Formats: sequence, C-alpha cells, structure tokens
Amino acid sequence: MTATVASERIKAPLIPPSTHRYADVIHRLEAGGSMLPDTPENLKQIIGIYKAYAVPMDFYWRDLLYIAERVFLNPLPAFKYFISQEYLDRPNSYAGDQSQLRIWRGGEKAHPELLEFMERGEAGRMPKLLHHLWHDRVNMEFAEACMQAMLWHQGMGGRFNDYLESDAYKANADRAIKAYFKGNPLMLGLYALFPDMFLEQVRQLSTTANLGLFWEVMAPVFFEMSDIYDEGGFKGVPDAMDFLVNGIFAVAGRPIYHHVYIGDECYEIIPKSEGFNWLYEAALPYVEAVFYRTAPFRGTKSYNAQAGQVPADQADFHYGILYADVFPVGSAGIPPTLLMQDMLHFLPPYLKEIYREHKRGEEDELVQLGITFQRSMYNVTSAVIQALRCALLYPLDDTNPEHLMANRRFFEAQMDRFLRPEARLADIQSQDYR
Amino acid sequence: MDLLLLLLIPLLAGLLLPLLPAGSPWVRRGALAAALLQLLDGLWLWQHPPAAISAGWLPQLGLRLELGLDGLTLPLVLLAALLTAMAVMASPVDQSRPRLFFALMLATNVGLIGAFLARNALLFLLAYELILIPTTLLVATWGGERRAGAAIRFLTYGAVSGVALLAAVLALGWLQPGGLNFSYAALADHNLTAEQQRWILALVLLAFGLKLPVVPLHGWQPITYSQAPTPVAMLMSGVVSKLGAYGLLRFGLEFLPDAWVAWSPWLAAVGAISAIYGALNAVVQLDMRRLVAYSSLGHMGMLLLALAAATPLSLQGVIAQMLAHGLIIALLFCLVGLIELRTGTCAIPELSGLLNPQRGLPFTLGLMLLALLAAAGVPGLAGFVAELLVFEGSWVAFPWPTLVCLLASGLTAVYAIRLFNRVGFGRLDNDRADWVSTSWGERTPALVLTALVLVAGLWPSLLTGFSETATAPLALRSSDAVTVIAMAPANLNSAQLPA
Amino acid sequence: MASILKTAASVGVFNTLLAAVDAAGLREALEGPGPFTVFAPVDDAFAALPPGTVQTLVDNPPQLARILKYHVLSGAHSREQLVAADNWDSLEGAPIPIRSKDPFEVKNATVVTADVVCDNGVVHVIDRVILPG
Repeated sequence: MTATVASERIKAPLIPPSTHRYADVIHRLEAGGSMLPDTPENLKQIIGIYKAYAVPMDFYWRDLLYIAERVFLNPLPAFKYFISQEYLDRPNSYAGDQSQLRIWRGGEKAHPELLEFMERGEAGRMPKLLHHLWHDRVNMEFAEACMQAMLWHQGMGGRFNDYLESDAYKANADRAIKAYFKGNPLMLGLYALFPDMFLEQVRQLSTTANLGLFWEVMAPVFFEMSDIYDEGGFKGVPDAMDFLVNGIFAVAGRPIYHHVYIGDECYEIIPKSEGFNWLYEAALPYVEAVFYRTAPFRGTKSYNAQAGQVPADQADFHYGILYADVFPVGSAGIPPTLLMQDMLHFLPPYLKEIYREHKRGEEDELVQLGITFQRSMYNVTSAVIQALRCALLYPLDDTNPEHLMANRRFFEAQMDRFLRPEARLADIQSQDYR
Repeated sequence: MDLLLLLLIPLLAGLLLPLLPAGSPWVRRGALAAALLQLLDGLWLWQHPPAAISAGWLPQLGLRLELGLDGLTLPLVLLAALLTAMAVMASPVDQSRPRLFFALMLATNVGLIGAFLARNALLFLLAYELILIPTTLLVATWGGERRAGAAIRFLTYGAVSGVALLAAVLALGWLQPGGLNFSYAALADHNLTAEQQRWILALVLLAFGLKLPVVPLHGWQPITYSQAPTPVAMLMSGVVSKLGAYGLLRFGLEFLPDAWVAWSPWLAAVGAISAIYGALNAVVQLDMRRLVAYSSLGHMGMLLLALAAATPLSLQGVIAQMLAHGLIIALLFCLVGLIELRTGTCAIPELSGLLNPQRGLPFTLGLMLLALLAAAGVPGLAGFVAELLVFEGSWVAFPWPTLVCLLASGLTAVYAIRLFNRVGFGRLDNDRADWVSTSWGERTPALVLTALVLVAGLWPSLLTGFSETATAPLALRSSDAVTVIAMAPANLNSAQLPA
Repeated sequence: MASILKTAASVGVFNTLLAAVDAAGLREALEGPGPFTVFAPVDDAFAALPPGTVQTLVDNPPQLARILKYHVLSGAHSREQLVAADNWDSLEGAPIPIRSKDPFEVKNATVVTADVVCDNGVVHVIDRVILPG
C-alpha cells in the first residue's frame, strides 16, 4: 500500500499529505482504493461473505415486499415470515432476462441454495411451522431490525421521511387502511379512535417496502461479484469496490415506492411518480442507519443513558456494523447474531477453510464470519464514499489542486466518523483481527 | 488389613511414581489410578465395615498403630480420596516435574487418610505433621509469583499449629490415670480437672484454629490459597482445612467436653466473627482466588459455630458442611484454575464477558454460577442442606451468633453475584480473548464435583446419612439446648457405621 | 432567438439531454414561457456516468425528471447574477451551490459556456451532470 501511495504522490504532488490520524487510509482512498487494505485474503473474505449474505438477502427482500404489500396491517401477523409462493417466485427486477437493466447475469428466481435451505434447514425436512418455531430458518427479525433503524433514525437525507408526514401520504394511507379493514367494524372503529397509531404502522410498512426494494438490487450485485471472483476476475479489493460503485450508479434511479394489494386492487401509498430514487431514499439512509447508527444492543452489555453512555444526539449513534463489537455475537439479544447465523448456512467452502484454520476453528465461526462481514461492510462503505465523491465532487485524477483539496476534505470528514474509539477501522487494517 | 490398604495404595504409588521415566504419561495416570483405587476401597469399606486395627509400634512412647473407620471419618476419607483424584485430574496434562508433584500430592493424601483413620493421638499427630511438609513444598515449588512468601507463612503457621497440638497431645497422654496412653478410647474416658481441660483446650484451639482457619489465626490462608497451584488449593481448602474441624470435634468436643461447653459461647462468637469477616472480605476482593479463599474462611466460621453449639443437629451440620464445603470449594478452585489457565489471570477487574458463547468460557462460567449458588446456600444444592442444619442446630444454643452467620451467608450471595456479574457479563476483552475453549478432559473434575453438589442437594442423606449415628453421641447439648450433656460417655467406640 | 430546447438542439452536443427531457416528459414544461435558467450537461458528461445509470433513469421518468429538474432554476439568471449568491434553489428543491466565480463552477461541474440567452431563459453549458446531495 505504501508503495502505491508513494508513487501516487510522486505523480501528483499537487497537495501536501494529510495529517489525519487515518492519513494512510485517506491516501489510499485518494489513490482509488478502499478503506480495507488490498490483500488477497481480504478479497477472498469479502467476496465469500457477499455470497453468503446474498442468499438470505434474496429471502429478506422478497419477504419484506410480501409483508409491505400483502400482509400489510394484519393485526396478528403470525405468519408474515411464511412468504407466499407468488413472492418467493417473484422475478427480481434487476436480474434475469425479463429485467430492464441486464448488467448482472444471475437469474430472476430465488437462489437454489435458499430454496434448499428453506426445505431442509439444519434439522432436516419437517413442516414449515416447526422450522419456524425452531428458528431453523432465515431470520427475518434481522431484516426488520434494519427497517426499524431506518424508520427510527430519519433525517438522513432524501425526501422519504418528509413524505411520510405529508397530507398526500396520509390520504393514500387512509384509503388503503379503509379498504383493508372493509367490513371489519372493530378495526375500523379502532382506526377512528386512534388514527395515528394505524398511520404509524403504515409508515413502518412503507419503510419495509423501501428496504425490500433496496435489497432486491443488492442481492444480484453480490451474486455477480461472487461469480466474477469464482471465474478469476477481480485483481484486488479496489476492483471489488469499483464494481460496487458502478452498481450504485447503475441503479441509482430505481424508483422507491410502496404499493399495497388488497384483493385484486393496488393502492399506491407511495406512487412511483413521487420520484423517489434508490440512491437518495433507500441506499444512503440505509448505510447511515444500519452501517453507522442503529441502536445499542440489548443483551450482555447494558447501557446507562443517564451516565452518557448513549449519545444524546441520534446522529452520534454508533452501534452499526462499522463500530460493532463482534465478539458478543452468539449471545442473547445481539441482533447481528441472527444475520451471522443466516450467513453461516451459505458460506462458500474457501471461507469455511479460512475459519477452520484460525482461532477456535468451527467453534467460533459466528464471530470470525462477523468480523469478515465487518471487513466487507467497510468495503461497501468505501464504495459509497467513493460514489458520493464521484457524484458530488471531483475525479481522483483531477489536476486542479483546489478540487483535490475538496476531495481531501470530504475524505477526512468521512474518516472523522471513525475517530471514536468504538470504530473498527484501525482493527481491519490488520489481518490478525479475526 | 482393609484399612491399611487405604494407606498403602497412595503410599506405594507415591514411592513408585518417581521410578517411572521422566515425561512418561503414566506418572499422572498412576497418581490418578491410585486415588481412584483408594476411593473404590473406601466405598467398599462403607459397605463392608472393617475391623479396627491395633498393633504396637513404639510402646515406650505410647505410640500404637491404632486405626479405625467410623461414621464420622468414613465420609472424610471418601472426600479426601475423591478430591485427591479430582485434584490430580485438574492438574495440567503437561504438569512440570510431574514425578515429584504427584508423589507429594499422594504424600499429602497419605497424611490426610492417616489422620482420619488414626485412633491414637500420637499417630494422629504424626500424620498431621506429615501433611505440612508436602503441602509446603507443593506451594513453594509450583505456586504463583509470591509462592515463597506464601510457603513460608504457611509453614510458620503450620509449625505453630503442630507444636500446639504436640503439647496438647502430650498433656492428654501424660495426664492419663493409667499411665502414658494416647489411645482415643483412653483419652475420651479421662477425669481431668476443669483447669487441666481448659489449658489443653487452649492448645487444641490454637492448633486447629490455625488449621481451619478462623479469625484471628487466618493470616496464612488467603495468600496460601491464592498462590497454591490449583490442584493443591483444591486439596488444601477441600480436605486439609477440614482436618481442623475434625480435630476440634475429636480433641475438643470428645476429649475436653467440660471446657468446651464452658468456652463455647466465645467459640460461637469467634465463629460468627470469622463468618462475617470472611464474607465481607470476599465482597471486596479483586482476585478470584483470594475471593474464594475468604469465602472459605467465612464458611469455616459457620463450622466453628456449629461445633460450639454441639447439639445433635448442629453436629450433623458440621459433617454435612465439611462434605458440602469440601466439594464446593474444590469445585470453585478448580473452575478458577481453569479460568486462570485460559485467560492467564485471576484479577477480577481484568476479566469480563467470559460468558460470551463463542469466544468466552461459557461452560466454565456456567458451572461457576452453579458452584457460587451452592456456596450461597441456594436450595437444591449441597450448600443449602449443610447450612440449614448448621443454622437450625446452632440457633437453639447461640441465636445471636447464628443470626450473624445467617447474615454472612446472605453476603455469600452478594459476592457470588458480584463476581459473576463482573467476570461473566460485560464486554469480552477483544485483545485478550485469544484462548481456546476448555477440553472435556479439563472439564471432567469440575463436572464430577458439580454432579455431586447437585446430587447431594437433591438427596441430602448423602451428606448426613453417614454420620447420624456417629455424631449423636458427641452432642454436648440436647437438641433444645436446655440440657448440657457434658461428660456424657461420648465414646466413639459406640459410634457405629450406618447399616 | 429560439426557445431553450431549440437552441440546445441546434448545437448538437446535447443529444442525451434532449432525449432525457423527452423521456421525462419535461419538454412541454421547458417549452413554456418560463423563464428558466438551465445548466445543460453536454453529451460527454452523460457518457462519463457509469454504465446503466442513464438507462435506469430513462426507464423511470419520474426519477429522471427529478434529476433533470435539479439542473433548472426558475427565472433567467446570468453568470453575473448567479455568482452573487452561494446557493440557488433548483426546481427539484435541493440547492445548487456556486463553488467558484472564476472559473465559473456550479457544484462539481465547470461551466464551459455561460449566458446563452434564449427566448424563455438562459442556458449555461456544464461539463458534468450534477446530482443533488
């Protein structure tokens, strides 16, 4: 890394080196790299985990859309994780031959490994209900936790949350609520008494649709990356990051909407014509809410808000994967445990091999893959940072020193977020962090 | 001959082990086999009560080879054999200088069994002194960083204890009406004046008070327990200290009942002070070993209270507490040892999050929670049965000291929860948590002890069944504590093994 | 003088922009009396975007319209007027920062040709597509 940065500086000594604590990382970003060091093992780890992540994600997005569009306001949604066949077969809008944008090669159907796992689980073939109760399934609870983080934090750019408060939205929701509970005087009576409670539920469902539409894109991107790697593509971590940057741009304009199907009729609670974009209304809020902020884990560590252990300002929340202490994964009440458990089922063999060789081998796979996930999300975040730099600032090879300084300030401002001690940016610089 | 076998097995093994080639795995296995054989022999003797042995040895000195097993000593013999086996198991597979280590462990075992089997005060004294040497060497050679200081202190206190006991034994023997005789049978049936009894009891209290120990004679205990290697700490806290209680029972209650009854209010007070002092100290300890050591001190105080009360119930409590505490404290040291082996420290402030299911020591910590609950006297576990007997038996005689001990028992829960909260919960130190999980081999002794703690909790007659008939004749107070039965023909010869 | 769109069409380097305006259904609005200030990215600016970007937008007119509206101010503003303020509110709603007076830079784009006056507004030609945020 030092070699490439050095050559970069000889080539472009237009601005002095950064004095930031993460100057090395900043110089790497300025040279077109990722926050994650470019090593063969890092590449292997992140691609492997992208694949393991994409399989459950293929379920998350389908079921999130199923919940938002079909289950809707069911007061007892006990079966919301029992996705309908229609949604399980729903063709991905960005994969398969029917898709408008054919840049990722995967099929439009649910991934075969996902279907096999839904059939057999860990415990073998048994009725769906038993799989569900035994938690031998894809943990939708994780997906819903992400959705709740997005709903709760708000104010992270985009117009989505403003729209949720608008009169147009309330009118649309009102129509859908009344249609959904048609002929149900009890629920309609409750709605008349507590309209805001129902509205808030619909807002949550709109966020659910938002996240589903976001992940619908990410799943084929990650599958494609895994395929490229298996074919020998990707020379290093920056290649993988660039692929993500291009992917972010390619689908930036995807509409974010919320349609509800009641009977045969479609109610457009958030119509596509509102012009909400994948990039502004889904991706950026998602990264902010889930990678950076989320909320303190309930579990083995308790936080005392009165002692200042939880920031007063929501924007300072730092409980996302970029800051997460992955070690307690496996303990009760640590939400990423569910995700790690989901990914565990779909690890490619080369990742299993790495885990077997380190630390406790198979015994602490959950923690090891959690840290791999952390590495991979630092790379995704790098892609987001580079995409934003690309969209809002200047090319890396710009010859105007002022433009380069603007880029520098942007990168430094991004790195400032990792100055707090909980950040794992320093840890992932070393391969020993497992 | 059956009785002799109990002694010969560890003696022979201890002598033969050093002949094995260095580095042979059979050293450890041999020591384990000897301890297990001894345990089996003990169990066999439980079902087939052996005849007492009486043979001359050095008649000029009054030293006779008198051995016997009764309901009082059988459980202690079994405990000693069991804990020896568990201690050997708990020693690291790559024990350094194994031949010497295990030989010394077995020597300690010989001393313990000898002391329990002895029916002759001089023989008891010999065995009692024998224990001091190997235990000191074990602490001095394999102990922690401050092992030298710990060993010197242990040796000094132990020597004082030995001298006091020597003086007491000699006094008892010389004052026999029929001439020099150290046989228990003779000692129990004396007619010493009240003043003579008091002088001798003072010596006996000094000797065994140091061994138990109780406040203010405990100066050696926390440092020795915290510096001793894990197997030695298990054996010392589990059995060697019980020798102190046994000695008080034998030499105090049985041989000097008048003086014992006269001083018992003071002894009860000392017991209560020890209990509360140990518990309060345990609450503030920053080192797990020291915490367990102080916890042990507190429980020894409760033992002294029950001995002072000397009602039939409290004496049953004494035996039950000796067994229960022997199991629990050995389990605690075993688990603390496991934690130290993995994490490299016993310092409570340095440890947290060990319950972490993936990178922590969840199995060890789970057993530790159970052991701590047992120590705190939670129903369903061995400690509850013992403490209930102790408190119920002592209440009638000494209500106030009993209340203080109850408070101390409550504090046990405080330090147990504090320890568990600090060490088990919280954030696992990412930089430190590099260890591998414990193996089943390492877990075995803890598992066996845990199983016994559970079984004894659910089936209390395991703790009391041996000794019901044996302790009843020793009682100095009636069960309502109204009548003092001092000078009753409390002769252990009448104590029968349970049918 | 011609309208903004006719002027643009006559130059020949705004083919992508014009196609996008049609796809987004904004032609009618931009043909209206206005007046508007349009920051018009050249074809090369669109071509510099990663593959798929434009296609996805063209497939989704409301989303495309939003991006295009970010390039339009209401009222006709010359370069001289524009550099007097730090930010101008676009039709999309988000502000467009004026980063530099000389060279004239709008957000991260450089104005290649300023002050092309048309019937219903002013066009400033820029070398990059600007995006809100």
